[in-house]
Amino acid sequence: MDSIVSISTPLGTGAISIVRMSGKDSLGIALKFFHTKQKEIKPRYMHFGKLEIENNVFEECLMVYFKAPFSYTGEDIVEFQIHGGVLLAQKVLEVCLKYGCHMAEPGEFSKRAFLNGKITLDKAEAIIGEINAESEAELNSSLQITNGKLAEKVKNEQEKLTELLAEIEVSFDYPEYDYEEIVKEKIFDVIGKISKINKEIIENSKGAIYLKNGINVAIVGRANVGKSSVLNALLGEERAIVTDIEGTTRDSLKESFMHKGIKINLIDTAGIRETQDVVEKLGIERSLSSIDRADLVLFVRDGSVQETEEDLKLEKKINGKVVINLINKSDKPRKIKHKENELEISALTMKNIEVLKDKIVEEIIGKGIDTNALVLTNERQLNILNKCDEWMQKILNAKDLSVDVIAMLVKNLWNELGKITGNTENEDIITLIFSKFCLGK
Amino acid sequence: MEKFDAIVIGAGHAGCEAGLALARMGNKTLLLTISLDAVAFLACNPSIGGTAKGQLVSEIDALGGEMGIIADKTALQIRMLNRGKGPAVQSLRVQADKNAYHMEMKKALEKEKNLTLRQGEVVDISLDGENKIITTKVGLKYEAKAVVLATGVYLESEIIIGKTREKTGPNGFKNSQGLSSSLQKLGLELMRFKTGTPVRVHRRSVDFSKMEEQVGDDVCGFSYLKKGKIENKEKCYLTYTTSKTHEIIRDNLDKAPAISGEIVGVGPRYCPSIETKVVRFADKDRHQLFLEPEAENTDEMYLQGFSTSMPADIQKEMVESVIGLENAEIMRDAYAIEYDCINPTELNPTLELKKIKGLFFAGQINGTSGYEEAGAQGIVAGINAGLYLQGKEMLVLKRSDAYIGVLIDDIVTKGTNEPYRMMTSRAEYRLKLRQDNADLRLTDIGRRVGLVSDERYNIFLEKKRKMKEIEDKLSTKVKLDDRLIEFYKNHDESVPKESVRYRDMLKRVNIDIFDIKDYFGDFQNYDNDILEKVNINIKYEGYLKQQEEDIEKALLSEKILIPEDFDYLSIKGLRQEAKEKLMKIRPLNIGQASRISGVSPADISVLSIYVKKAKKG
Repeated sequence: MDSIVSISTPLGTGAISIVRMSGKDSLGIALKFFHTKQKEIKPRYMHFGKLEIENNVFEECLMVYFKAPFSYTGEDIVEFQIHGGVLLAQKVLEVCLKYGCHMAEPGEFSKRAFLNGKITLDKAEAIIGEINAESEAELNSSLQITNGKLAEKVKNEQEKLTELLAEIEVSFDYPEYDYEEIVKEKIFDVIGKISKINKEIIENSKGAIYLKNGINVAIVGRANVGKSSVLNALLGEERAIVTDIEGTTRDSLKESFMHKGIKINLIDTAGIRETQDVVEKLGIERSLSSIDRADLVLFVRDGSVQETEEDLKLEKKINGKVVINLINKSDKPRKIKHKENELEISALTMKNIEVLKDKIVEEIIGKGIDTNALVLTNERQLNILNKCDEWMQKILNAKDLSVDVIAMLVKNLWNELGKITGNTENEDIITLIFSKFCLGK
Repeated sequence: MEKFDAIVIGAGHAGCEAGLALARMGNKTLLLTISLDAVAFLACNPSIGGTAKGQLVSEIDALGGEMGIIADKTALQIRMLNRGKGPAVQSLRVQADKNAYHMEMKKALEKEKNLTLRQGEVVDISLDGENKIITTKVGLKYEAKAVVLATGVYLESEIIIGKTREKTGPNGFKNSQGLSSSLQKLGLELMRFKTGTPVRVHRRSVDFSKMEEQVGDDVCGFSYLKKGKIENKEKCYLTYTTSKTHEIIRDNLDKAPAISGEIVGVGPRYCPSIETKVVRFADKDRHQLFLEPEAENTDEMYLQGFSTSMPADIQKEMVESVIGLENAEIMRDAYAIEYDCINPTELNPTLELKKIKGLFFAGQINGTSGYEEAGAQGIVAGINAGLYLQGKEMLVLKRSDAYIGVLIDDIVTKGTNEPYRMMTSRAEYRLKLRQDNADLRLTDIGRRVGLVSDERYNIFLEKKRKMKEIEDKLSTKVKLDDRLIEFYKNHDESVPKESVRYRDMLKRVNIDIFDIKDYFGDFQNYDNDILEKVNINIKYEGYLKQQEEDIEKALLSEKILIPEDFDYLSIKGLRQEAKEKLMKIRPLNIGQASRISGVSPADISVLSIYVKKAKKG
């Protein structure tokens, strides 16, 4: 059986993440990117070493090898214990995939454990419910878990392919009918367009998924409203688990902290005010543009005084952004009137600071999100989209081949996309053939 | 009561193949038909093959069947469809002489020593333990352990032309009455399907000058037994409907039974009547029609694309509005036909009824359409009835073995809600399932079950030997000199830097094996069709390999067998819908289970856990 891999700890919530592989090749795969000074890999011993997560980028970790059949699944298992944090665990997962592992289906470790006689049917039955629920969800609404626009795009991609396939197939099955016969150019044209969209989606998922790069938060407010203390309150003791991982953009960032496994980057916007000073003006421009790049703005006001002219001017500047209006100094009597989407806090007494952290995540990623499921689903989907990209490059490189082979590649691509959309019914193509084209004897 | 090993009911395209297969496997076989004059009758279009169907015919032939041989023998014209689109989707089609086809098949049946061909209408099937008792209308009774039902469109069939409804079979032949209710008594549910056939016109009344000639191709036929090309004796003609045709149809829609709802049977989407086409594709201002010869010794011509159930007088008006048919003499009216068929999900992939051992079904009674689809099922049902009698494991062709495998798997796993037609789009491994290599895929299987004669087998072995020879020869190195450089330049290919093998040359887009043959003078002693096969194998090597890998992967789940009496209800993790579907279909293995609509991948993962558990005991 193929080797499988998954992140087996809830992401980001602990100081350590475990990435686990199972299958007869797992040790072989592991040793392609795990380097240790220990001469021999001994089963059930910890091995200290380094993971090459990117070219020449190493990360220290612990590795344990369980030799079949003495493991949870009854197969060879390799576990990496790595520093906590979403990005790192995902990077390691990606590396395992790159070297030949398959993404584990929901419940697959337990399934293998059962098949190898490691767990009883009772136990297996208990997990079956889970397998069912999870993969059902993947099929029916896996895309809804992530962002709705992405879902729509992928569905569109596949629909366009369905139409293309219908056109190709009708030319095969009804060669003598007088519709306009599909020409190769059209196939490459359509695939080229879809390929562009696909690449975009991959890029977006890769680059913009907040889980990977964190949420960029700008703290905005006139002087003396307590911006710095809000910043400090947010960082608080969390400072200790800030992960500093290479490749993250850190320009104009002051500090980051982790909350619910998601990195929150606080952007320094101090000093936005009316000024005639040229140098200061430049600095302000920079600050403003960093507000532009922020996913969320924390607009801090002093709740103990009335709103000022400057407050109103600043409010205009952040127009169009996702904003949480922070009414600071709530330990004092409130003078300011109610704001939309507001939260009363006190940086001094730490009132509502934890609530604020939750709110930041909620505003951007949504409520009640299971970060674990989201990341896994994403990784699986991203993996599929990457495979789709491979198929499309293959198609685009097949310009000299006959249409039957090109059709086969297009069909493979269609099937691959179906793993995301859940639509793999060949009958859909045939239905489209008959609804689009007038055929018959 | 006369006793046979096996009885086949119906001598259409399915029944003939089933009867011949059974007899050739050494079984004393009775083949009953409603009319001896309707044996292997081409009731609709006078052609055999076509896209995907051509593959079916060659597969029947490779297994040791008759359809390809007779189609070749009675061909009036042959064409290779989809030339230029690649080998995977090329298919042969012949225009066959419908009278000759019937006579030749009848002769083949009469010649078969274990086969008794007899006219007789079966009205009842009953069971006596393992034995089946067949009763005919005139009260004769026959007994056999294995029975194949291949009744085509004859079960309680009705022909519809406008307001006229007549309880007859196709083309005015008698229909079958009573057998339907006998099947219901055996616990079978019946469906009502519909199909139709266009008018036939007299050749002398056609203005061919207004039509486009369709000539044949210079190619070999279906059968691997026949050497040499098929002679093109006749032409077909292409013409079009006019806006007037459409006007007539629109003005008379209330008289069209297919539109007005008078016809309840479900018709095929791929073969709509002309009135359906005009309604559904209202934006098209003309529809294509083909005029095809019915036989050499008659002037009747078949008007393909013009099937209708309009009243006869409207039909006449419609035909006369077609380009070149202004003065057409109609010889036969077009009609729609409704008939009973069974739900094919009641069958195992062996085509044996799940409920009753030794009772097999083949052809249009299973809800399919087409001569080739019928013949394909016929030979499989015949083979399996034979294997059943021998107490041997039955034959199930996989989707990766043959179009026949795709066809049968589709209908028994998914069922069908319209007459099922084979299409290349239904096959996932069509780079492998080609018209040109059916013999390589299936001859061994046919040999194993005892259908492939020594003659056929020797031809096959010889061909394999030659292919091996050619492939060995492809390793021949050609040294880099002016001659080689010129060869590459002639074909617009970049010149190699060192000596190359023939095999390497074939990897170039613009060079095929015939170019090598012509230029270097090698491979002179081999037939072109064998060279072509090797050529395809090399040129498509990478893609074939990839397909093989896909097949291997898919086969893993085909190998996980589900016990026949598996208790789906006791599985907690399965959804109710999945349980019901699985109970109904009773798939043989996990692979088949995964193709049932309404069974999700999650259900499959649950099911595989339990199936494996059940096996471990």
